[in-house]
Amino acid sequence: MFCYQCGCRLSEHDFCTACGADVSQYKKIMYAANRCYNDGLEKAGVRDLSGAVVSLRQCLKFNKNHIEARNLLGLVYFELGEVVAALCEWVISKNTRPEKNIADDYINMVQSNASRLDSINQTIKKYNQALAYCRQDSKDLAVIQLRKVLSMNSKFVKAHQLLALLYIDGEQWEKAGRELSKCMEIDRNNTLTLRYMQEVDRMLAPDESGRAVRKKTEEAVRYQSDNEIIIQPAGFKEPKRSGAGTLLNIGIGLVIGAAAMYFLVVPGVRTNVNNEAQAKIADIANQIDAKNSTITELESSLQDLQAKSDALEKEVSAYEGTDSTLANMELLIQAAEVYLSSQDAAQTADLLEKLEEAEVREESAESFRGLYDALRAAVAPQVAAESYNQAYQAYRDENYHEAIPGFLKTLDYQEDNGDALYYLAQSYRLSGNAQEAIARYQQVIELLPGTDRASRAQKYIKDLSEE
Amino acid sequence: MIHFEEELKKFHPSLEVEDVEDAIYNQDLTDLTDLVVKIVKEEQETEEPAGQTRG
Repeated sequence: MFCYQCGCRLSEHDFCTACGADVSQYKKIMYAANRCYNDGLEKAGVRDLSGAVVSLRQCLKFNKNHIEARNLLGLVYFELGEVVAALCEWVISKNTRPEKNIADDYINMVQSNASRLDSINQTIKKYNQALAYCRQDSKDLAVIQLRKVLSMNSKFVKAHQLLALLYIDGEQWEKAGRELSKCMEIDRNNTLTLRYMQEVDRMLAPDESGRAVRKKTEEAVRYQSDNEIIIQPAGFKEPKRSGAGTLLNIGIGLVIGAAAMYFLVVPGVRTNVNNEAQAKIADIANQIDAKNSTITELESSLQDLQAKSDALEKEVSAYEGTDSTLANMELLIQAAEVYLSSQDAAQTADLLEKLEEAEVREESAESFRGLYDALRAAVAPQVAAESYNQAYQAYRDENYHEAIPGFLKTLDYQEDNGDALYYLAQSYRLSGNAQEAIARYQQVIELLPGTDRASRAQKYIKDLSEE
Repeated sequence: MIHFEEELKKFHPSLEVEDVEDAIYNQDLTDLTDLVVKIVKEEQETEEPAGQTRG
């Protein structure tokens, strides 16, 4: 606190220690100003903005240089939507204390955004225009204008109040109540708002008879219950609710639901299930057909393979000697090898005799036959001679059963051996085989015509025929 | 009961931005301190002629 006369800092005394001025009253004024500021601050804190304005203005009346009070007053005006009044306070505050003053920031906040400042200005102009409409009794226009104002600046308390007044005048209590509620949210203890709200509540509240005061229309009844607006047809009565009726309704509903399910839902579900089953069956049938086709193919293939296998087995067995082709080959080679190595005609002949001549002649290759014939021709003289000597010796020993095969062997190797043929006939005759003997004698006659042996053969034939 | 016309008289036009300058200039910034100082000065002025007369 500074002396109002010399500007020196004051002490606890009631006089200025510098100039001696009486500062007791001055101090009291300052204390009063501070008390008003504190009160205004407290009210601003609880949104009693109207009360805060009063307190702060009182503070400034005590001390116009109270910067904090002036800045706060500007803020309160701004919150109430009075932007110009707020700017005035901040400008004065800045002039009072140019340095380190938050009013500078507030002013910049408002003035820096030109569009915002213009919007604020338009809001104020529209509000003034709405007020003019009210005075000209153009209430509808005023309402429209005020709605525009509030859409641009929803915190403009005076606009809310004026609009509420218009609604009250038009007996639109609910709308008026809403506007006044918005005012209450901004400025809680505004006298005008409270008075209007009282009027609205009185009009909306039930009267002494207990009936709700209702605005009746031809078709509907409207009334407000707490924060809700209820519109119901005229003459509408809510039905009485009873437990049995509710249960009955629930039961009927369940029955209808069950019937709907049975007739609408269940067939569909069944159809779906059947369709799925049919599809599965068709799929399985297709798989079966495919498998059958595969089986048929495999069986056919198996048959072909079996036939081939049989043919190959036959071929293999043929080469292995079941029909003696290989065995014959082997014998022939063996015979050739024996003859070439040892010139043993007897052994060679034995090997050749093992070959079955009929197969050699019919089934073997030409080279096979050629070799066979060559070997046979090579060993024939020696084999024929040996077998003839053995057979003749057996004939001389009257062992005809042994002599006959020897002579036959000789003739096998030498067809034109007359001696062997003659003695063969003799052996047959002497062994009692007349028929063979006659045949052989005939061969002797054909082979050795005009010889002594032929004459004797003729004689023996005659004798055997007469027997 | 709220009377519209009577209530309407309580509503005044708001200051527009163009009116800020005039509003500031026209604002009366006299506070109680100024009044006290004025009173004290007047008292002092009244006392001095009386003192001079006595002397």
